[in-house]
Amino acid sequence: MTDMTPTEPTGNQTRDLSGARDMIVCENVSKWYGDFQALDGVSANIKEQEVVVVLGPSGSGKSTWIRCINRLEIHQEGRIVVDDVELTNDLRNIEKVRSEVGMVFQQFNLFPHLTILDNVTLAPIWVRKKPRAEAEAQAMALLERVGIPEQAQKYPGQLSGGQQQRVAIARALAMEPRIMLFDEPTSALDPEMIKEVLDVMKALALSGMTMMVVTHEMGFAKEVADRLFFMEGGQIVEQNTTEMFFSNPAEERTKLFLSQIL
Amino acid sequence: MTTASTTRERVSQRVPLWRDVIVLKWATQLFLLVAVLGTMWFLASQAGDNLRARNINTEFDFLERPVDIQISEGIDTHPDTGGRALWAAMVNTLRLSISGIFFASVLGVVVGLARLSDNWIVRRIATGWVEVLRNVPLLVQMVLIYSALTALPRVGLDTGPVNGWLHISNKGISMPRFFIADGFYQWAVVVLVGAVVGYFVRRHRQAVQDRTGAHASPPLWALGTVAAFGLIGLFVHPIFSWLGPVFGGVADVLDSIPNAVAQVVFAIISVGLAAAWIHRFISSRRSAIGHLSISDDDWFRIAFTALASLAVVVLIARWTGFSAWTLNSGRDLFEVMADKFDVNGAARPFDAMRPDIVQKGKFPNYGTNGLTMSLGFASVFFAVVFYTSAFIGENVRGGILAVPKGQTEAAKAVGLGRGQIIRHVVLPQALRVILPPTGNQYLNLTKNTSLAVAVGMSDMVQVGTTVFNQTGMTLPVVAIWMLFYLSCSLTISVIVNWFNVRMRLVER
Repeated sequence: MTDMTPTEPTGNQTRDLSGARDMIVCENVSKWYGDFQALDGVSANIKEQEVVVVLGPSGSGKSTWIRCINRLEIHQEGRIVVDDVELTNDLRNIEKVRSEVGMVFQQFNLFPHLTILDNVTLAPIWVRKKPRAEAEAQAMALLERVGIPEQAQKYPGQLSGGQQQRVAIARALAMEPRIMLFDEPTSALDPEMIKEVLDVMKALALSGMTMMVVTHEMGFAKEVADRLFFMEGGQIVEQNTTEMFFSNPAEERTKLFLSQIL
Repeated sequence: MTTASTTRERVSQRVPLWRDVIVLKWATQLFLLVAVLGTMWFLASQAGDNLRARNINTEFDFLERPVDIQISEGIDTHPDTGGRALWAAMVNTLRLSISGIFFASVLGVVVGLARLSDNWIVRRIATGWVEVLRNVPLLVQMVLIYSALTALPRVGLDTGPVNGWLHISNKGISMPRFFIADGFYQWAVVVLVGAVVGYFVRRHRQAVQDRTGAHASPPLWALGTVAAFGLIGLFVHPIFSWLGPVFGGVADVLDSIPNAVAQVVFAIISVGLAAAWIHRFISSRRSAIGHLSISDDDWFRIAFTALASLAVVVLIARWTGFSAWTLNSGRDLFEVMADKFDVNGAARPFDAMRPDIVQKGKFPNYGTNGLTMSLGFASVFFAVVFYTSAFIGENVRGGILAVPKGQTEAAKAVGLGRGQIIRHVVLPQALRVILPPTGNQYLNLTKNTSLAVAVGMSDMVQVGTTVFNQTGMTLPVVAIWMLFYLSCSLTISVIVNWFNVRMRLVER
């Protein structure tokens, strides 16, 4: 993948990613819904292979920010550059970024009229123009990786929530993305299914994927994240290494948040 | 333990009949059935008594009796009996309904998509279309279209024979009528060859698609092949003229076969088929390791097949007429075919008759040469198509809006383009929602064509009314109406339901 240190990550001890190049660059990103300002000058750099977790109370702009990165939401001020491609109104740039950024949603959003296999192969066949046989072989390998190859011929409605979310991860991976975005991937799941999804995400992080995760799973954040962002009111209140964030947060607001949830 | 055993005892106790849900269920069903049948019988017998008392005839023999009706258009404009008149009217109504359903669907999809367009002007126009059309009574629209069409130029005898492809006037729209001519059968053979080639082309394209995944559109290729053969066949069909003598030769051979030979051949075929079936059956009962297990039932089947083939042999031997009849009809068939192929090399597969104008009563009108859409038909057709398109457009819009936003977002996130999202993600899901209410609109359209009576188009209702005015057979005509519209509606329902079942999402 890169010339990086062989990644034997991470626990919550920080890897040295200082030499890695920037994968996502946000500069002063702002966005309004009518009069309501959802993002207020968000700036951050995310390195290749880095895993960042975005925390914050509801309505703090976490989801809006992550959705701006593959332009499901359009930012009105500032710059967003993903893998050296700036997101503008240029359709070609948007398509290039979307085909390199995978996304997993809170509500899975699988295509209910297609089988699991067709869900995974749809984009490779139609966007990457892969031969069907090749796309299906790759899809089966991915379903194997997320642990549900036996469900390939079923429909999403026949699967449990955890299984559906794992299919959604496989579907995103089928496009061979360089970045994965997770928008509260476990919030709609029953407690006993959260672990199976988090395990898949941990394995993905170990494989060196650049990941940006909005979640409330503190265990996951402590174990896997290289860096944490804490947001409130559309601003990044604090960004810090995982260790520092939990043991010695810089901001009073972060301390308050941590004391409420831990 | 004790509780378990007491429960078991309690269950095994006999439930009194008036508390047994199964008995209650069946009793209610039975009671309802008796009540419904009783009411129907009562009403029917009352109606029968009253009709008899007033001497009202409810026989259907008027269908055979002559009537004096002029029908505006269709398969028969001067039917000689009541039945023939209703038949011609039914064809007119069906023509209206089927073409109306097709064009209303196409227009409805366009309207529905236009209402969701990003383009402000397109969206406004579509909204105006829907709001105006669905809020003005259909009858008013129909009369409006009719009066607009009557303002078209008059048709006159002085215009002479019409040589154009399309003739529009205040009597309607007339187009050339195509019909099959002498060269048709040779052309049909070319198309048949095209169909065979098309089958292989389809298989080949399917293989290409499976191998590479590229969209190879096998059905389109197959259709294209057949169409290409059909087109080329229009010019080269005489290459099959040699088939005429061949068919003639086959007919001669069939004619020269003595009946006795035919009997022997039939007997051999019968025994051969039975032997082949028995052989296949026995090998199907053999397991993978060669173990043969044949049950008593199987023995019975084998014996039955053998006996049946023997019976056929005896029948052929005793009843010589059967083989002779088969030979003769085979010969006749080939002789007819030989005739059809024995044509002038320049004979065309199709011919067309241009629209003509003749004196009809006091006024000039289109003759029977051209294919004419009368003013009445056009008014009803455009009125129901426009009117129904507004409702179907709303169904389409609703169906598309019913697909959750997350579906489009997920499709965008994996990199699908606009057209791909609509085709692979939105439409398949929207169709589930669009179809059931659109089926209702098809039913409405079919029933709405009965307003044709207002613009003098001879549909089922208009002709039926004339028939019962002339024969006095009100009730039978009404019964025929009901039966007709009911069967149309049921047919549409069955088709729409079939699609619904196919579209249904699989859930646990």
